[in-house]
Amino acid sequence: MNNTLDIYHLKNGMVLLGERIENVHSASFQFLLPAGASLLPDRCCGAGSVISDWLFRGAGNHSSRELIEAFDRLGVHRHASASAHHLSLSASLEAGNLPSALELYADVIGNPQLAPEQFELSRQLAVSELQGLDDDPRHKTMVLLYEQFYPDPFGRPAIGKLDQLGALPFEKTAGIVKKMFAPSKTIFSICGNYDFDAVCKQIEKLFDLQTEQGLTEEQPVLKGKNCSHFPSEGAQVHIGLMTPAPTVASDSYYEIAAAVSVLSGSMSSRLFTEVREKRGLCYAVGASYKTMKDYAGISCYAGTTPEKAQQTLDVILEQFRVLKDGISADELQRAKVGLKTSLIMQGESTSARSSSIAADHFLLGRVRELAEIREKIEALSVDSVLNFLRKHPFEEFTIVTIGPNAVTV
Amino acid sequence: MNFEYQKLDNGLTIIGEVNPLAQSAAVGFFVRTGARDETPEISGVSHYLEHMLFKGTDALSALEVNAAFDRLGAKFNAFTSEENTVYYAAVLPEYLMDVAGLWMQLMRPSLRDDDFDIEKNVILEEIAMYKDLPQFEVMDQARALHFGSHPCGSSVLGTNESVSSLTAEQMRSYFSKRYAPNNMVLACSGNFDFEALCQLAEKQCAAWNTVDTTRELDDFRGTFESKHIQNPNLMRQHICLLSPALSMQDPRRFAASLLGMILGDDSGSRYYWGLTEPALAEIAAMQCESMDGTGAFYSYLCCDPDKASAVLEVVRNIFAELKKTGVSESELETAKNKMLSAVTIKCEQPMGRLVSLGFNWIYNSQYQSVQQDVDAIKAVSITDISNLIQQLNPSKFTMLSLGPNPE
Repeated sequence: MNNTLDIYHLKNGMVLLGERIENVHSASFQFLLPAGASLLPDRCCGAGSVISDWLFRGAGNHSSRELIEAFDRLGVHRHASASAHHLSLSASLEAGNLPSALELYADVIGNPQLAPEQFELSRQLAVSELQGLDDDPRHKTMVLLYEQFYPDPFGRPAIGKLDQLGALPFEKTAGIVKKMFAPSKTIFSICGNYDFDAVCKQIEKLFDLQTEQGLTEEQPVLKGKNCSHFPSEGAQVHIGLMTPAPTVASDSYYEIAAAVSVLSGSMSSRLFTEVREKRGLCYAVGASYKTMKDYAGISCYAGTTPEKAQQTLDVILEQFRVLKDGISADELQRAKVGLKTSLIMQGESTSARSSSIAADHFLLGRVRELAEIREKIEALSVDSVLNFLRKHPFEEFTIVTIGPNAVTV
Repeated sequence: MNFEYQKLDNGLTIIGEVNPLAQSAAVGFFVRTGARDETPEISGVSHYLEHMLFKGTDALSALEVNAAFDRLGAKFNAFTSEENTVYYAAVLPEYLMDVAGLWMQLMRPSLRDDDFDIEKNVILEEIAMYKDLPQFEVMDQARALHFGSHPCGSSVLGTNESVSSLTAEQMRSYFSKRYAPNNMVLACSGNFDFEALCQLAEKQCAAWNTVDTTRELDDFRGTFESKHIQNPNLMRQHICLLSPALSMQDPRRFAASLLGMILGDDSGSRYYWGLTEPALAEIAAMQCESMDGTGAFYSYLCCDPDKASAVLEVVRNIFAELKKTGVSESELETAKNKMLSAVTIKCEQPMGRLVSLGFNWIYNSQYQSVQQDVDAIKAVSITDISNLIQQLNPSKFTMLSLGPNPE
């Protein structure tokens, strides 16, 4: 719990965050670029999925093959993904290779080659990945759930929509890439074994870029509660449901975390006990808190055979609803120790911390130190959690099911 | 990091890798039993038994077990494979002895009839869940096809029929034969006191009876058969290829893992340039799985059904080229760097170390430090890889294809 935090602002507005972790040999870093699914122009749903592949198909003086080989020679474990707000490029590696890896990322972000023939291959891969979602009904359920739950454009699926990906134009996508590095909205975070001064100097030199104004969001359109069923011939009915909750920036954040932990933190939680242990209705059942900047909710998934689907949904909804009626001191104590343990173990992982500090900066405008989070968890009481639940009872649900039969609320 | 070892008189091995600087500790029981140790009548019993261990003892109900783990803030679970059942928990150092003591109690479960009946529903739901995940289904079916009558082809989950007809008495009989202390390893990593752990084990586990447990360890090169399973409800073609690799006992397994990475890593491998980069397949991955006395290379390919034959043609060309020209120095160096950084990152957390620590003992009765892993990876030469290619010949494989495509 003694990790130290660093912060530095470049002249162009880009923020650099660092958290040193002692006794590790690795470093993990992340670039959060303001080009998430909610910021993409109309009819470009899924462009982030294409771009996160296309960027690595040649950059600076490196051809596609040279670039991939250069990353691999450094032993860099790369990941690129799109969320509602950001396109995220992250990497984990041995700390000694950090300067060389940052140089490559400067080319990928600031100087990608964007060859048309490579665009077509990236687009085809994105279409294939989206088609593959039909063979993963659990994942598809949650993609459809988020789309229905969040106001548009925040629920737009980062994985894309088939009609829009199929017709995605090269020029328009290249235009998005050229606009996506808006320094004042870009966050760089690094954790593990690094020299912050050296990293700042190098990033300052590599990212001394001023670009035109970045991408802008549309006005959100609220959707309200909703219940949808998508028929399919599978072995199970896949149930996704979500109810609104305050965001991570609210004063009640730690009460929400405790409530979700009582509901679904581990094997003694309400959902696991009532749905699986007592009734044997499911193998997989669980709920988690999801937060964006302005919208948040608690999402839940369960997969069950068709004849048990209605009972499964009924038991889950009942557990959400009765939470406000009381929780025991022992339940809260278990939730608190579980939350604290997760936090300390996260502090041992360079990649988990680098994404956490970047998310904190974006969502809260500052990075919470581990000690602060620990104090807030320790200060929770049964009364504080119940007060929150009575003010914010879980009553409205968006529900999506995929499977041989529908369920009713 | 210090390695510690002790063995109780009844054969229970206790090993530990102590790192006083770690913020957490992880502990696990590694039981040398899995699907390969089952007969067809009790197919799925190892995995079902793993679930039943959480149902408690004569002194603890299932709900009390769950609450006890959660009071310690434990990140705990278990998994069953073809040949091992592993129970693990990661906790803050102050809770390590408590969570280790809890596992020791659970290793002598009640296996009550009413718990058995309720949990059967959960197992059947788990089987149904995997039926809806073709990427798992294809691997399971391919393993059965490749290993044929060899026990490694047995399904971990079992079938609806085998699990439905299984009785609690059959499970109790299996338990008494396999969960003997001489067939188990208690492993611990991170920030903990090894002496205290051993004293606790002596107190709680010394009365467990030794049983003569055996396992056939024949190597098996595979059936090399091909099979298509048509499922018009699927959108993609899911293809799994298996070919012989090396066992966990074979010191050349590091070379085999590097060969798997050169061929099928998700970045910069032969599969990447031949299949993913040109958008022929969205997933093309290969890895080496070393097992007890045998091993296999697994490839998983996911593509448009209409491109399946083109994808397989590319794979055949990749293997033919490999046989002809081997791999280059730069390919080997790159694969080593990727593997070394993965080892470094994984070992920074006690939970990451626990699995390597336990498995090295289960298979080879030896401690292998992170540095020894690093040295073994660095020592692999081009000649080692060439010899493996000639010996293992990955171009000859078993294939299972699942999807809308009939052929």
